Amino acid sequence: MSHVTVSVRNPSGVHARPAAIFVKAAAEHPPEIRITNLTRDPGRSASAKSILGVMQLGIAQGHDVRLEADGEGAERALAELRALIEAGLGELLPP
Amino acid sequence: MIRLRGIAAAPGVAIAPPRFLGPLAGDGAPGQVLDLDAAIDVAVEQLEALSRRLATSGRGEEAGIFEAQALLARDEELLRPARALVAAGERADAAIIAAGDDAAGVLESLEDEVLAGRAADVRDVAARVARAIRGEAPPRLTERAIIVARDLAPSVTAELDPSFLAGIALESGSRTSHAAILARALGIPAVLAVPGLLEATFGARELVLDGDGGAVVIEPSVAERQVALAAAEGQAVRQAGDRELLGRPLATADGHRVMLAANIGAPDAAARALEAGAEGIGLLRTEFTFLDRSTEPDEATQAAAYGSIMRLFGQRPVVVRLLDAGGDKPLPYVSQAPEANPFLGVRAIRLAWRRPDLLRTQMRAILRAALAEGIREPHLMAPMVSDLADLRLVRGLLDESIADAGAEELRPRLGIMIEIPSAVLVADQLAAEAAFLSIGTNDLTQYLLAADRTNPELAHRQDPLHPAVLRSIARVVEAARAAGIPVAACGEMAGEPLGAVLLVGLGVDELSMEPAAFGAVKRAVASVTVAEAKDVARRSLEVSDAELVRRLVTAATERPAPS
Repeated sequence: MSHVTVSVRNPSGVHARPAAIFVKAAAEHPPEIRITNLTRDPGRSASAKSILGVMQLGIAQGHDVRLEADGEGAERALAELRALIEAGLGELLPP
Repeated sequence: MIRLRGIAAAPGVAIAPPRFLGPLAGDGAPGQVLDLDAAIDVAVEQLEALSRRLATSGRGEEAGIFEAQALLARDEELLRPARALVAAGERADAAIIAAGDDAAGVLESLEDEVLAGRAADVRDVAARVARAIRGEAPPRLTERAIIVARDLAPSVTAELDPSFLAGIALESGSRTSHAAILARALGIPAVLAVPGLLEATFGARELVLDGDGGAVVIEPSVAERQVALAAAEGQAVRQAGDRELLGRPLATADGHRVMLAANIGAPDAAARALEAGAEGIGLLRTEFTFLDRSTEPDEATQAAAYGSIMRLFGQRPVVVRLLDAGGDKPLPYVSQAPEANPFLGVRAIRLAWRRPDLLRTQMRAILRAALAEGIREPHLMAPMVSDLADLRLVRGLLDESIADAGAEELRPRLGIMIEIPSAVLVADQLAAEAAFLSIGTNDLTQYLLAADRTNPELAHRQDPLHPAVLRSIARVVEAARAAGIPVAACGEMAGEPLGAVLLVGLGVDELSMEPAAFGAVKRAVASVTVAEAKDVARRSLEVSDAELVRRLVTAATERPAPS
């Protein structure tokens, strides 16, 4: 099991559009990927391939999320998704 | 050939095949019923197509919303509970609605403003899938067609490709219904409130839609077709002329200027209004920030929306109308008992009796936006004011909001809509304390003539050219003059050529309308001198009905202008 933790900086958090971008990227990778909002509720996780699941985590600006994956391609998937979140999920980030 | 009469709701003439929308009353054929999975495929396909179309027409923001909706429509987290319900014997459409409600409820419980707003998207997707299950999938237009339906919901019209939309014919509706406003904004003809329309047009291959005369001709004869083609050509010439009028102000033949302002209902319409030559926004409907969401919009969300419009218009006035919801436009986050007569119920500023915080938040947002954009005199307008007590209530809330927002340096101008007959009768009292008046002719007509504007049977009574409406306007103008404050008109009447000429003749200082009407209104007003406009207005006050008024003004505007 591999995992990464990354901080979300989007001013409005992960709302519909950024969630769509994230979920589409996750769906490109074969392994199952789970996402947890450590700031809001470390006990609840969702499939990174479900837009509803990701939105229901209530990820707001400043929240830390943990991504987990297992099996072939897991490392690559996590690295890519982490870079995507750090780059703002298609939104401009505050300086 | 059959000719049906209706209300001329948007001008122009179109010849095209009909396209039926929604469940048909006339055909008797039940809609195709799909199972959950087939309906999901339909919904996903619709949403992806819509998203692509919006993206390629430069509407990226809206495209993103529907892209996310497409993902939701095939999201197993949403569908799994729905499948379980179906397996337990629930009907598929009820199952997806229930699953959508549950998922939306989770988003609402997060206490995150933005995500709670997305609950509306989840419900929207569930409703779309349910429609597909029931065989009510909205068809896409793939060729030029005249939409024929009983009624047209706003959510349906967002999906119609305007380049294929030749015109709109509805069995219900009135001049002020959403479809009419849409048609005028797109510059296509619309004929509404046509009894027997669906039954008569079923199976027809071609229609002539006459948005000037208010008629639908089914399977037109050769002669009828030629007349319609000629009219459509004339219309193309007129539209080219409208573009020529672009740089010119709104003025009579002898140069009497009247301010030309735009009615808008969303921030993205502001740029188009400016391009079309608006000298200001005469009516910013702020409901867009309040409707279609499950929680109250916070101050920052509202301020950002208002600020973006103020920035665009700079020192040109932007009249922000305070929330006009409740009653017939219920808000999910304001509990309200069902009312027997919503138009006479607790709506607009009357909500402030119970929820003053709603208006105060909105006022603070307007003031903050004005501070941020360097607008010293933001314009606020209170709807549904019946008397001085109402105006003073709003004034009190505004004073509190100024203190709350630390906006003492601003000089906000608080005006009122005149749309209730009692406000007409005490217009002198109101004018003494308001910064400006703006006559909302749609509601004023409905209230004055006791004709429900949503009742198609009364649509022909919803006529702002009625002498009783004109006399009311004359009285309001007189009150504004005596108090030395400006008076505007912002109903549909201001955007209709004959109505605009009358309003100018009655002495209104500003006309506010959909930007698509600018050209036709400029041309009509330029066809008369100010003396002629006053003369026809004075004579119109003395006749007995709207039809006679229409004839008088038509004669005045068709007379060649003296050179």
